[in-house]
Amino acid sequence: MKKLFSILWNICKKLVMTVFVLFVVTFTIYMTNAENKLIYYHISPFLTKHYDKQARDRRI
Amino acid sequence: MNAILKNALGICKKVTDPCIDFIDKKLEKFDPVWQAEHGTGGLRSRYPDDGSGIPRYREWRGVRDTFQDYVAWLRNVGYMGAMAAKSPVHVVKGIWEYRWMGSFLGSFQFVDRIFEGYRGRELDIANIHGNAIVRILTLRIGLILANDRRLGGGPMSDFIIGLDETVPPLFTAGFPTLNAEPMQTMPEFVVCDVDQNLDPYYIDVAESYGLAPDVCSRCSAETGVALDDAFPVFGKLVLSTNQPCNASEATSMFQRRRFHQWGIEDYPFVFAMQHNEQNGHDYTREELKQAIAKIEEVYNVKYDWNALFKAAANMNHQNEIELEKWDIFATPYSPLSGISESLYKLVEWALVNGHDAYFNKVDDKVIQIMRQAVDDKYLPYKGKTRHRAFLWGPSAMYYTDFPTWTQNCWGLTIVLNMDSTMGHNHIDTEDPEKALTDLALFSEKGVMRHHAVGGWDNVDAVWAWAKRLNCDMVICNDNVACKGMNGVHGMLEERARELGFHFMFLPHDLEDSRTISRQEMRSAVNKFMSVVMGEEPLDPTLVEFDDSKAW
Amino acid sequence: MLDLKHLIYFENLLDEANNELVAKAVSDGDLALGYNCYYIPETLLNLPGCFSTRLRAPHCVSTDIANYYMTVHNCPYVRSILERAIEGGYNYLTALFGAEACSSMERMEEHFDLIHPVKNDAFFTTIIDAPLKCDNAALNYYKKELNDKVLAPLAERGVDTSEAALKAAIEDHNEVSRIIMEIGDLRKLPNPPITGYEFHVIQLVSEVCPHRLILPYLKETLDEVKARAPEPEFPFRARLVLCGSEVDDPEFTKLIETCGAMVVADRYCFGSFPGREQIVIEDGETAFDAICRHYLQTNTCPRFMPGEKIDQRTELLKNLVEEFHADGIVLENMKFCEFWSYEKVLQAHVQTNELGIPTCQIEKDYALTGAGQLRTRFQAFVEGLEIKQIESAAAERRA
Repeated sequence: MKKLFSILWNICKKLVMTVFVLFVVTFTIYMTNAENKLIYYHISPFLTKHYDKQARDRRI
Repeated sequence: MNAILKNALGICKKVTDPCIDFIDKKLEKFDPVWQAEHGTGGLRSRYPDDGSGIPRYREWRGVRDTFQDYVAWLRNVGYMGAMAAKSPVHVVKGIWEYRWMGSFLGSFQFVDRIFEGYRGRELDIANIHGNAIVRILTLRIGLILANDRRLGGGPMSDFIIGLDETVPPLFTAGFPTLNAEPMQTMPEFVVCDVDQNLDPYYIDVAESYGLAPDVCSRCSAETGVALDDAFPVFGKLVLSTNQPCNASEATSMFQRRRFHQWGIEDYPFVFAMQHNEQNGHDYTREELKQAIAKIEEVYNVKYDWNALFKAAANMNHQNEIELEKWDIFATPYSPLSGISESLYKLVEWALVNGHDAYFNKVDDKVIQIMRQAVDDKYLPYKGKTRHRAFLWGPSAMYYTDFPTWTQNCWGLTIVLNMDSTMGHNHIDTEDPEKALTDLALFSEKGVMRHHAVGGWDNVDAVWAWAKRLNCDMVICNDNVACKGMNGVHGMLEERARELGFHFMFLPHDLEDSRTISRQEMRSAVNKFMSVVMGEEPLDPTLVEFDDSKAW
Repeated sequence: MLDLKHLIYFENLLDEANNELVAKAVSDGDLALGYNCYYIPETLLNLPGCFSTRLRAPHCVSTDIANYYMTVHNCPYVRSILERAIEGGYNYLTALFGAEACSSMERMEEHFDLIHPVKNDAFFTTIIDAPLKCDNAALNYYKKELNDKVLAPLAERGVDTSEAALKAAIEDHNEVSRIIMEIGDLRKLPNPPITGYEFHVIQLVSEVCPHRLILPYLKETLDEVKARAPEPEFPFRARLVLCGSEVDDPEFTKLIETCGAMVVADRYCFGSFPGREQIVIEDGETAFDAICRHYLQTNTCPRFMPGEKIDQRTELLKNLVEEFHADGIVLENMKFCEFWSYEKVLQAHVQTNELGIPTCQIEKDYALTGAGQLRTRFQAFVEGLEIKQIESAAAERRA
């Protein structure tokens, strides 16, 4: 019983830790606006370059 | 059990509320709304001067609201993740193939900026709506990409009916084995609100073939999408339409050529322009029958009236709530207004149109908050509303986050937008013949149409709306390329003078932000508010700023 | 060629909307019924005691008041009509029958009701909803609209709208059209005895003047043109079809012709294609049914959406080029005209790239401003056509 309790306790601890780490990571991304900075300053320019180079079947 | 939970929560709140209040007090100087109130900054202080419109960090709204917004953001991340996880290859291929898919990456920033400065119940509702919008869009984008023949196709590729974006899709609920997807919504109609830089590219494509620059920029962009071969490819049939107006009719002559190239048939599903008259209703009803017959013929399926009735019941429920919302809008206690109201309504009506019962749940939740707000005599925006305006404004208001800006900068609440008054009649859910008649009336009053075409009376209705909603101001989006609304310019001015409304035209070129920039639009309001109304801005950092390179 | 006997008279009739013949008919007690668009069948307006007159605003150079009402970003034709109305130029009208064919036109026609520019107590305006398709449902809708908004108000005012009256109106239409088409068909000849400008003038007077008063002049002109000796040699360097929107100023046709190209066919809103075809009453049809069907079927406005109507427009142009031995097509659109802007681009592509017919695209104002720029465009186009002719002749010789 004690062992089971200990296993459950460990799982809970890990779960709480995981949730806490996830919270810290995602909240940091959220507050620092990191995803928008990444998309705007890095991903978008890269994609725009790609789109500008595309050969499209352009016609009426 | 509920009582125990409530008690437990109450006890928790007793402990946490003082803590939250303490933290809020300590961190209030980081809140841009507080900064504007105390002259130490404002909502624009977080932004760099590079015109990017990407703030250095997200808005601190106090513990409760920041956490609420964070959870809503997480939900949006989840919806997008789910879309990508369902068909990762198609999604990656889609982003690589379509320029407009790249623009959707600006969605997080879009949601942030349209709800900037929101607090309390306004933020609660805005985020409920924001989540619903992101949910439905990711579902639909996922479906489109997963079945796009250009990207490899999928199990539904042959079972999708293509609709012009302005065809109200409710009637297609009678084909439960088929999906109805608006052709232009993803490549142009919605995404142009997210990214102001997208449509100019497609407009340039169309103009490079000789299309005049004075035609409606939305339709010009759609033409550009067709010429650039950038429509997703699915289905066997596309229903083109004359909704809402001339340019929409005209652009279909180019789009059909591209659809034909991909082996997709086109069928013009037209609606009476004069939608206040019995002859018009009869004609639209006949057209509706023919459109149904055409789909039956092409897809070899039978129309299922019971399936339609189910969706119509959803729509009826939404409209019942909508009517109640209008009563609350007329009071000073509505925490729902501006973009939160109009963008949600646009998506709920034009894209969902009764097909998704999830939106009924959203409406139920929101109306509860609104009722409570009335009971509590809750004053939204911290009671800073100075004027209440009825807006006659199509989509240039979204990419400019216009109502949010008028609220934050000048305390000018956009109570309702004309597009939110689209078809709201009850649809019969028992008799097919009655349902058809109701559907005709419902469908005629479509997006950008109800108060734009069909005669002056439909435009002149804005004053009655403004009066009904206790507005002291009417703002009319002055689209330089909209021939129909340009045609009533003088009459609108004369009526505003006659009826005693504060009235202003807001110049814009719909989707072409190069003709009239966001700042030029804001300047028009700034001049009106300072010169005509003689008022000072609530947040001076918002009066003039550079967002020329922003999404 | 010798001058046409009535040409100057006709030109004078086009100098103002309320011209000598219109004024005479009104003083005789006839009701002057104005319209702007092909969607309103002129035949329905030529009932006993009435006459049709298609509205023009000749010599309109300033639209300041109309600009206030409709902004400068709107169709210059509709602004000019509204301006002329406000100036009092249409006070002779009893009615304006409008069509919601395009939003600019509809808004302008609405102003006739909203600001009462026509100072005539009897004046009224109605606006029909114009169908975008040509199937049975659309035809029935068109009939209902024309019946409720054209015939019914006329009947209320004591106009005879009986079957016999409508049959007589069809006969009148067919008579005028036969004369116009006979004159127009002479443009098919290698060296026609009539110029595009002259034909444009003749066609316009047939649209703006009371038929009963203009008909004798038209008959005489037909006889005269038939007997007229052409120039010893075809005086133009090329033959063109002019296609576009509201071209109601013959000076525009003259401008093209002074650049060396004869306008051999007129496919535009005020032209004879469509407009001067015979109306046939088919078995089981009433005269009213026949008129409605005819005007819906022959209507080639670019606002029609179905593929078969788009094909009809393409075919019409192609056939005109063949029948009138044209070397190319001038595709015109009025500034701020959305339909014709789209149609111009599409037809330029289809005619040039798919059918091999050279085209020249231009955009113009209602008043003939910018004539210098247009002249340069036309001269370049004519030169291009000439070079093509020379090259193909040389190729033939080599072969």
